[in-house]
Amino acid sequence: MPPALSFAQVRRRFGRLAVLGGVSASVAAGEVLLVTGRNGSGKSTLLRCLAGLLAPDSGTIDYSEDGTPLDAASRRRRVGLVAPDLAFYGELTAAENLAFFSRLRGIGRERGDELLRRLELPPDRPASALSSGMRQRLRWAWALLHRPRLLLLDEPFQNLDAAGVAIVRRLLVEHLAPSPAAGADAGAPGLAVVANPVPLEIGSVAGNLDLGA
Amino acid sequence: MFAKEWRSEIRTRYALNTLALFAVNTLVVVSASLGPLGAAPGRSSETLPVLLWLILLFAAAAGLPRSFVHEEETQTATALRLAATPSALFCGKLAYALTLLAALEALVAPLFLAVMNLDVARPGLLIATLAAGGFGLAAGSTLVAAIIAQARGKGTLFAVLSFPVLLPLLLLAVELTRSAFAGGGPPGQGGQGGQGEAGVALMQLLLYDGAVTTAGLMLFPVVWNP
Repeated sequence: MPPALSFAQVRRRFGRLAVLGGVSASVAAGEVLLVTGRNGSGKSTLLRCLAGLLAPDSGTIDYSEDGTPLDAASRRRRVGLVAPDLAFYGELTAAENLAFFSRLRGIGRERGDELLRRLELPPDRPASALSSGMRQRLRWAWALLHRPRLLLLDEPFQNLDAAGVAIVRRLLVEHLAPSPAAGADAGAPGLAVVANPVPLEIGSVAGNLDLGA
Repeated sequence: MFAKEWRSEIRTRYALNTLALFAVNTLVVVSASLGPLGAAPGRSSETLPVLLWLILLFAAAAGLPRSFVHEEETQTATALRLAATPSALFCGKLAYALTLLAALEALVAPLFLAVMNLDVARPGLLIATLAAGGFGLAAGSTLVAAIIAQARGKGTLFAVLSFPVLLPLLLLAVELTRSAFAGGGPPGQGGQGGQGEAGVALMQLLLYDGAVTTAGLMLFPVVWNP
């Protein structure tokens, strides 16, 4: 069964500040859910809740893969996240960072090498010496390392140049609709939740969740 | 995790430098004021074990909490939370802390014995105490470091939280070190006891190590994840 994500009445406060006031939406395989809204409207908080990095105060998040519902802990290890606050080890090179996370995830380092090549990242440059655009590419490589079915993308094109945008758009299209030419390696269609301050022209949009101000 | 920690450490040398500099500086101060020229011979086996463990404790407190705090401060913790199982992470960090502390002990203990001109009556017991005490110190510090990593006022919290966790370990380690220096069993458990009493105290220290490690493995997923 293809993966599916739905959430209902998700609320989250930080102290007295209500950031998410009961948001609901759903997205199916091959689709993108766009989450828009001004700065501070709760887009990143919603994505962190969906990733299992933040527990919502109330509401439900249902995500299943192959017909099996996954709880927050299982979801956390399955999702691929691109977010501005995602950082890597500055003293390690881009290739070493990906190799380290590949080992943690129990996968071979070939996938990291392939993503470094596709994202045109310098493998031997320390992460601390990467430009902001290259760091964003490394975030994409990290997020796609374990071939996640659910991609959570918080301002995914931030700091990318035109070539970088074209590369990651291609990767996103492949994620949503794997090419049959890739055979078994391609996997099943994935889904994505994309948070951006303004609407984006992107994939097959399941809906636009506007969090407003 | 263990290999990554050491690779990062060898490139930055932050914890190694902090621990070594702190330990050697303290050792110099102690030896200048209480060394063979300043300490009364009868007092040395009573007071010097306390100083040895205080040096190890404060050096560990200066360097070990960084392993988790650094992950939060540099925002690498998010990537770790999403990629690693809590048990793998805790074991990797613990193994790193253990080897770091073993290196510190290998540097400090011989230096301490040399500058204090101390004779060790039972070197085997001293080595066992340093090994078991170092393990407990590493396990306790790793657990407390994980708890404080997401809090404000990390330095103060580490001191407050590590005190009750590490106090039993330090009391046992000091008693066993006294026994190793002077010979006989731990003086705190019936005066100059025999080897059996030292064995009991060492067993208690090992049980402490097991308890703190088990508690760490059980508590870590709760303190690490939301």
